[in-house]
Amino acid sequence: MSQDARVEAFVTAFEALRAEVEKVIVGHREIITHVLTSMFAGGHVLLEGVPGLGKTLLIKTLAEGLELSFSRIQFTPDLMPADIIGTNIIVEDADGRKHFQFQQGPIFAHILLSDEINRATPKTQSALLEGMQEGAVTVGGASRPLPAPFFVLATQNPIEMEGTYPLPEAQLDRFLFKLRVRYPALDELNAIIDRTTRSRHVTVSRVMSGSTVLSLRELIREVPIATHVRDLASTIVMATHPSWAGSPEPTRRFVRYGASPRGAQALVLGAKVRALAEGRYNVSVEDIKALAAPALRHRVILNFEGEAEGVDTDTLIGQIVEAAEAVTASGKEVFLR
Amino acid sequence: MAHPQAIEVLVRRVAREVRVRRAEHWSLRGAFWGGLAAVVVLSFKAGLGTTALVVAPALVALGVVAGATYGLTKRVDPHDIARLADRAFDLADRVATALEWADHPDRTPLVDALVADTVERVSALESRQIVRRAIPVEGRWLGVPLLAGLVLALAPAIRLPMGALVDFTPSTETEPHEERTTTDPMEERSRPLSATPLKRPSFEERDFAQRSGTGSGATAGDLSAIFKDTALSSQRPDFNSFLKKGDERLKLLEQVDRLPDLQSDFTSSQYKMVFKKSKSLLSGLSPDISPQKLRELLDEMERLGRKGGNWSGDASEGMEALEGGQTDRALEAMQRALDKMRAMEESQRSGKGLRGGRESERGARGRDRARGGGEGSNGPEDQDFGEGEGFLPGKGRSTMPKGDPTARLRASPFDVGVEGESRRGRKEGYDTNLTGRAGQMPSRLMYLGVIGQYRKMMEDAITREQVPRDYHDQVRNYFQALDER
Repeated sequence: MSQDARVEAFVTAFEALRAEVEKVIVGHREIITHVLTSMFAGGHVLLEGVPGLGKTLLIKTLAEGLELSFSRIQFTPDLMPADIIGTNIIVEDADGRKHFQFQQGPIFAHILLSDEINRATPKTQSALLEGMQEGAVTVGGASRPLPAPFFVLATQNPIEMEGTYPLPEAQLDRFLFKLRVRYPALDELNAIIDRTTRSRHVTVSRVMSGSTVLSLRELIREVPIATHVRDLASTIVMATHPSWAGSPEPTRRFVRYGASPRGAQALVLGAKVRALAEGRYNVSVEDIKALAAPALRHRVILNFEGEAEGVDTDTLIGQIVEAAEAVTASGKEVFLR
Repeated sequence: MAHPQAIEVLVRRVAREVRVRRAEHWSLRGAFWGGLAAVVVLSFKAGLGTTALVVAPALVALGVVAGATYGLTKRVDPHDIARLADRAFDLADRVATALEWADHPDRTPLVDALVADTVERVSALESRQIVRRAIPVEGRWLGVPLLAGLVLALAPAIRLPMGALVDFTPSTETEPHEERTTTDPMEERSRPLSATPLKRPSFEERDFAQRSGTGSGATAGDLSAIFKDTALSSQRPDFNSFLKKGDERLKLLEQVDRLPDLQSDFTSSQYKMVFKKSKSLLSGLSPDISPQKLRELLDEMERLGRKGGNWSGDASEGMEALEGGQTDRALEAMQRALDKMRAMEESQRSGKGLRGGRESERGARGRDRARGGGEGSNGPEDQDFGEGEGFLPGKGRSTMPKGDPTARLRASPFDVGVEGESRRGRKEGYDTNLTGRAGQMPSRLMYLGVIGQYRKMMEDAITREQVPRDYHDQVRNYFQALDER
């Protein structure tokens, strides 16, 4: 298959999957695109939004559009790690001999919906750490690989903070993107009403298999990126650190901790998916700028002043991107240098 | 893989455009500065003549050419050009990425597709100017120097003030001499002369005693008479006449070598004067001992010896040796005479009964010494050692190299004196060189004065490495402990 055909196949698959999801989900096109981008980049997504915006429905629809196994965990405060990973149980075979047998937990699925992940204790939340990063879990001293592709989609409610456990920074860093699901617009709301209050049942087709996803992930990594575009991504990540010499004034004022190198990886990988989804063979500066907010908003930890003044992380990242663009050569006139 | 031709062509085209824009930019700057130089040249048109009219436009042209040359030859980075083309043609960094990855060792199959896609898009581009013109600040103000130059070129030459250095060569013309007494040199020359010549100041003939006595309304002790001496204040001082006439006191000041040395001559005895002169003669102040000075000194010593001393024989012997050319013998004889002279001086001072310190507090050791050793003059403590000789270690000629330990403090250091044992001869102290009877008595000095001297001696000794390095802290700690008491 030629490269053009491979890219064309990716674009077709991407569009087809998005179309299937959009059969159920009204609006939220950007959210759907970012979820798909994260899936093809091999990352996990944290969806944040108030109840009733269709977060869970979006993920379920996506799972229906893929020929992949799907499981859902409703996180509660009494949920234990064994409830997620699984446990060894004593079973008796046909001969009457008893032995331990590993009973897989719901994490052993291609697509894992972790609903209201911040309602579980940090101990249970951290049960996902190894699986999200390594693609395997360790139970009873034995490492058990998770099915590939493994894709975690977690949701959390930002307003019902009573009885919740905010995700620790290490857990947040495992998510490639953090997406904020916002209220639909008026016409979108009307469409939601029309679509969900009728008797017509919408069927989602399976348009992509797990092997296709894996092959497309390989294609993603072949996308070239120019040096100045890569430098822009690195500079953006560095500019989120208040201790960096070139960080802008808002960073120094409102940020306590900046993004980790995973942030830069997420930025570049997501940019490659975006470029390929648009039929391009290379990453552009616009790709980096477009994905800066979802890739970095959960990795930039505000300090007390930022929290007290209600600084919006997305606005802050926008300022950081502008500053980074000015620092790198991409924003300068060529012939005057 | 070589860069595709379409991409190369695009990059070259944009680079050429960039060079042209740079040439415009820098030529404008060059024209501005050349114009400024032309204005300067035209300002001297009067001196330069028609040359200025030729040089001024040449400077402007030179600035333009230099700026354009600089702009054209300045290096253009192909990657910068590619990015510029990407932005201008909305190519989403395709050209820059293709240019960079075409020769990249890690190039993937997708790079070929990228290059092909880029070539296709670049080939479809319409040729247009993409680099906008950038006018420098100098370009906006270019009209000012050009207009000024034009005005200066057309206007008549400006007469500049002709300056010349002062001629210091002697003039052949006779300069008019002015009577120093008729004009005051401290006044300005342009000041018109007064019709009535200045009166010669009369205060040079007066003194303060006369003025204070001649005050009309002043009484004795009335200082206001001095400050109300209007006769003085109304007249200008004529220092020139004062100097011209001269003053005997000024002449006296010129003969500084004849002024008496009040400190040394009138507070010293004749013997001390001889000591001092002989010391200065023998201490190496003059590298060669002058026989004439030595003769004068011996003559003086012989004269003093005839008055009542017992060293006239030694002085005469020295004179004879000097006459015979034996300078060493003469010096030895003079040394003997000096020793006798000093011994007599010491004995005279002791005979006056001078005592030092508190006699009641003096210890038994001091009294024993006064009884036993004080009478005789043969003991080692009674000998007047020469320079560098004495009790201290390494000085020789001593049976008591270290002496007795100093008495310890018994009370507050603010009112306690330190009792030490003095000896004859030069001491290793800074201001404790006592002579005569006081030198034989126990020395009592205020503790606070002594401790400062000894601390300074300690620091000097440590600085000169006279104390082993390992003992430095111990010595300092000892002095610090004394301070704490």
